[in-house]
Amino acid sequence: MSTNYGGYMGKVMHIDLTTGRTDEYPWSDEERRLYIGGKTMAAKILGDNLKSDTKAFSEENMLVITTGPFTGSGVPSSSRFNISTLSPQTGILTSSNCGGNFGYYLKKAGFDALVISGKSEKPVWLEIHNDSFTFHNAADIWGMHTGKVQQVLDEKLASAKGDKAVKNGKIVIGPAGENLVLYASIVSNERLAGRGGTGAVMGWKNLKAITVSGNHEVKVYDKEKLDTLNRKWFKYLKSHPLTGDQLPRLGTAGLVSTMQMRGQLSTKNYNYGQYDDFEMVNGETLAEEYNIVNKGCLTCPIKCARTVEVDGKAVKGPELETLGLLGGGILNNDLYSILKWNYELDELGMDTISAASTLAFAMEAKEKGLWDNGLEFNEENKDKISQVWEDIAYRRGIGEELANGSRWCSEKYGGKEFAIHSKGMELAAYEPRRSVGLGLGYAVSNRGGCHLNGGYMVLLEGLSLNVNAQTPHGKPDFTVIFQDLMEGVSSCGQCLFTTYAFFPPPLISHPQSWYTKVFCKAVPVLGPVLRLLNKFPRVVCFNLPVIFNQSKALHLVTGMPVTFGSFFKAGKRGYTLERHINSRFGISRKDDSLPARLTDVPQVEGDDSTRVPLERMKNVYYHARGWSDDGVPTPKTLRKLNLDKLDSYKVTCEEFRASSGGASE
Amino acid sequence: MIKIKLFGSLRLKTGCKGLDAQTEDVKTVKDACALMAEATGMKPSEYKNCVIMLNGKQTKLSSKLSDGDELVFLAPSGGG
Repeated sequence: MSTNYGGYMGKVMHIDLTTGRTDEYPWSDEERRLYIGGKTMAAKILGDNLKSDTKAFSEENMLVITTGPFTGSGVPSSSRFNISTLSPQTGILTSSNCGGNFGYYLKKAGFDALVISGKSEKPVWLEIHNDSFTFHNAADIWGMHTGKVQQVLDEKLASAKGDKAVKNGKIVIGPAGENLVLYASIVSNERLAGRGGTGAVMGWKNLKAITVSGNHEVKVYDKEKLDTLNRKWFKYLKSHPLTGDQLPRLGTAGLVSTMQMRGQLSTKNYNYGQYDDFEMVNGETLAEEYNIVNKGCLTCPIKCARTVEVDGKAVKGPELETLGLLGGGILNNDLYSILKWNYELDELGMDTISAASTLAFAMEAKEKGLWDNGLEFNEENKDKISQVWEDIAYRRGIGEELANGSRWCSEKYGGKEFAIHSKGMELAAYEPRRSVGLGLGYAVSNRGGCHLNGGYMVLLEGLSLNVNAQTPHGKPDFTVIFQDLMEGVSSCGQCLFTTYAFFPPPLISHPQSWYTKVFCKAVPVLGPVLRLLNKFPRVVCFNLPVIFNQSKALHLVTGMPVTFGSFFKAGKRGYTLERHINSRFGISRKDDSLPARLTDVPQVEGDDSTRVPLERMKNVYYHARGWSDDGVPTPKTLRKLNLDKLDSYKVTCEEFRASSGGASE
Repeated sequence: MIKIKLFGSLRLKTGCKGLDAQTEDVKTVKDACALMAEATGMKPSEYKNCVIMLNGKQTKLSSKLSDGDELVFLAPSGGG
């Protein structure tokens, strides 16, 4: 099936591991226009195939790997790809976004997306080169760590070409994925589709790796105008205080100090929001003492990744979440140990956020006498941690239980009030009692406790701006706007970090100015105005210059008629679609929750404003979204977003196999 | 004594982690900006455009300082 739009390769492949059959998955231009690509496209495909009783570890569950129209088009920071599936960690839809180069090479191979169902009888790895699909026996690489297996795959591809290196992208799993750790990741180069347990689904399907290569080219609708826009866009991103200065110099690790100052740094499993020894584990110390070089993905001017040295080897440095949760989160002030654990977790192939947060829960459960697990918040304990990661990855000893995450552990041993997760996914180091808008975002986020999927209100509530972090006013409406814009940007295949440049540079770089102060004061009272935009997005029937280039770029890449309003509506459609699918798995108001520590216990004793007033914000949020009081999208909302016919399942795995003319090799 | 700390990209640019200032030399936050600028060879505006926290709360340039205060200069940040 080809396409009339630029930016797309016009082909989505369905790979059934049970039969070994590969065939084109039907995906029309109307669907491209409505769902764009990335996580929204993946949600539509999963929505068309998953039933309410489908289990994460089942042949019917699919791994849907998608790119967006920006991927490979030359748009800044656009080498992202997305992996969505029914999560074994949360039991609902999950999407995990990853940098690196796999998305770019998937398009070089000629495909916009891969839809993987079924289960291979034996471990395999899949080689995709242009239109050819070859399954290889993975017996010799099963069990390998993620770095080693990628090296071996490069050697295998080169060996088949007379020892000539083959330019390719790859995704792999490590031992954690093979052993079904519920928060196992999929790894691509040094980057991870970290969250939600996508690696475990791949492991369950006996799929160790996929390599992609080819020589197709991405064609865009208006190359000349796009090149001009891209030049200005690169320049703007490089001149912005966040994307051109803070992120390149310090990476996300640079947030630790600000979070500390704002009381937003998770400390001792979110008992507190400030860590006395933060200066020993912050981004500045990382940059001054350990950073070797900054790295970035293809076509990215931001270059947020750090390279550090561990045991004499140059490896990827930790992100803010890992620094926060494995530093103050477990009262550990040894920065080198965090670099080492970060590397070990990547090599084993599991999410550092869920692993660290589950560990912190176990330590507190031990301290409170609920669970005799030998894990404690102290210095001596530190030496055991590397062994704990191994035990989790191989599901040995205490690791057998820790591999199920903090929700599972709290249900078995008690301590639900301090198991810091939402919908089964652990929160990401930002302490929401001092950023209540983010608290709402964590709770309502479609994939569980995710700061980005939650709208990332903390950016306004202290990180970049000084909006009152304790008031609930205006926060639900801003949350909806940011969630929808981020959904749209992500579905194009672009990095969400570009959205930080949405705030004009003077607003960020002049915090003492009158206009920054006025803006910060205005946010809490802008709710009703934003609600109008949420209700009638199409009134913005033009493109915003300079600060939001995505809608214009989407037009220039694809040729679709796009304005800021229609882009925003597409994001809203995607976000609502994910919620609609989650409703099929029983998600409603009761699940949009946070542990009692964050909603009932003030972070500052006696100051009731330092807890998350969640229920109150949820009411406004559901209203702004057009969802019922129980948090379910109403038929009217679904109709307005062209989502009302979704429940007519499109293709099922059974039908796909039934129509099979026989398995391919 | 006023304890001044510096974080963010300005710290990496200047190589300065902060300093202890005599109370009589820095009566206001604006004075502290001038002192830091002189100590690090930067323009005072570089410091005036930071997020400035006095004893844990965001403050303004005209705020008065007293003995034992901790003043922190931060760069606006985002990401994660």
